[in-house]
Amino acid sequence: MSVAAVAGLELRRLRVRPLAWLLAALTLGWLAWRYLFLLDTFMKMQVKLAAMADGPGFTDLVAVPLLAELLQLSFVVVPLMTMTLIASDRRQGTLPLLLSTGQPPSHVVLGKYLAALCWLALWLLLALAMPLALAGSVHLDFGKLAAATLGCALMMAALAAIGIACSAFTAQAALAAVAALIIALALWTVNAGARAAGVEGGFLDWLAMSTHLQIMARGVVGTNDIAWFLIVIVVSLALASRRLADERGRR
Amino acid sequence: MTATRVLLRMAGVARRRAGRVAVDDLNLSLARGEVLGLLGVNGAGKSTTLAMVAGALRPDAGIIELDGQDFVDRPEIGRRLVGWLPETAPLWPELTVREHLQASASLRGLRGTAPVEAVIDRLNLGPMARRVAGVLSQGQRQRLGLACALLHDPALLVLDEPANALDPVQTAELRNIIAERAAAGSAVILSTHVLAEVTAVCTRAAILHEGRLRHDGPLASDADRQALDKTFFTIATRAEAA
Repeated sequence: MSVAAVAGLELRRLRVRPLAWLLAALTLGWLAWRYLFLLDTFMKMQVKLAAMADGPGFTDLVAVPLLAELLQLSFVVVPLMTMTLIASDRRQGTLPLLLSTGQPPSHVVLGKYLAALCWLALWLLLALAMPLALAGSVHLDFGKLAAATLGCALMMAALAAIGIACSAFTAQAALAAVAALIIALALWTVNAGARAAGVEGGFLDWLAMSTHLQIMARGVVGTNDIAWFLIVIVVSLALASRRLADERGRR
Repeated sequence: MTATRVLLRMAGVARRRAGRVAVDDLNLSLARGEVLGLLGVNGAGKSTTLAMVAGALRPDAGIIELDGQDFVDRPEIGRRLVGWLPETAPLWPELTVREHLQASASLRGLRGTAPVEAVIDRLNLGPMARRVAGVLSQGQRQRLGLACALLHDPALLVLDEPANALDPVQTAELRNIIAERAAAGSAVILSTHVLAEVTAVCTRAAILHEGRLRHDGPLASDADRQALDKTFFTIATRAEAA
């Protein structure tokens, strides 16, 4: 159970790290304010919406946009949360110590990844609690919300995996965060040029993170989209593991 | 030294670091109960050798066997067999002393709180158990690092400059611990610059110079101990003159 041991160690470190608490407090405060704003707009539109036969509801106008806000924040928050996971161990000299305990590099990476996922899951749940708190008073489309939540969770998991891979390649946490942010933005906008030229549905569209997430935000969950996120996660974690495995032979 | 008592065997071990040969063609064996003092001037290759013995570095060439098993390709066997205190005890600054020990125990596959409590008692870490590692003095950090290395009762204890920043009382206590470990059947490798440290606790001394083993002999008598001093300076100064 060395994965659990590494995850436990990392969770203990996260628990006392001010950055984790600060990020959680600031982002949840921002999301709460945005939630109230979205809710207020939704309330003001009630008369108009009542006149529409198949108009958008609470899920389309409040819950899913709130998750979209969370996703925008996660482009910055996830790299900040993951930047130190391996880079700080390398800088403090604790990485050789960790490897000398006989942990396979893949277990070290997985353990740290699981710890990051625990924090992100809590973050997502707290954000999700805001629209769910009104589930008894408004009509919630649980299917659409579940699809959007799944998309959100997969994207955060993919960003965390990219962040860990970047953290594995450097001793400078800030460099890892910047690299993860650039890679994530590149993956998000890789098809922007093609779209501007009117080309849609090609390989670049498939490669873009935005393509897969927008489908899920509409309430449609496809295996193709899930597979895309899983591929990003597996490739990133494999790269991080490979980098750590090379650490023992590094000159 | 019978074959069954050999715990560590290094044959033809070589390692380059920072673009130069750090260790070259190193052949060394260590039996249970032995305390080997590893001497050498700065840059002799001591820390690289110990990092390889601890499983933190992979040799470029050669064999390292631990308890008769290939340690190079199976570093996981070191989890319960090797305890390592690097030169500057690396610690997670956010964790308390107790959390460090709990995390180390967990990483080594130990269950329950008994090993943690035992090592806290043995090294008298109780008064600082709730302090975070980031605020510890250098000597306290060294003691915590030593506690992490001893936690799982390793068959091979690898100590790189363990007396760094320790006061005379703590240094005497360290010598007692090393003697205890050897009496209990563990092997100990002690790397140091201080010759007196080696003659006080070691049963054997090895001298590394420019990555090569230049001397390996017992410290059974006072004559051996006196000769070590001369041997060390001869090796170090002859090489410098050359």
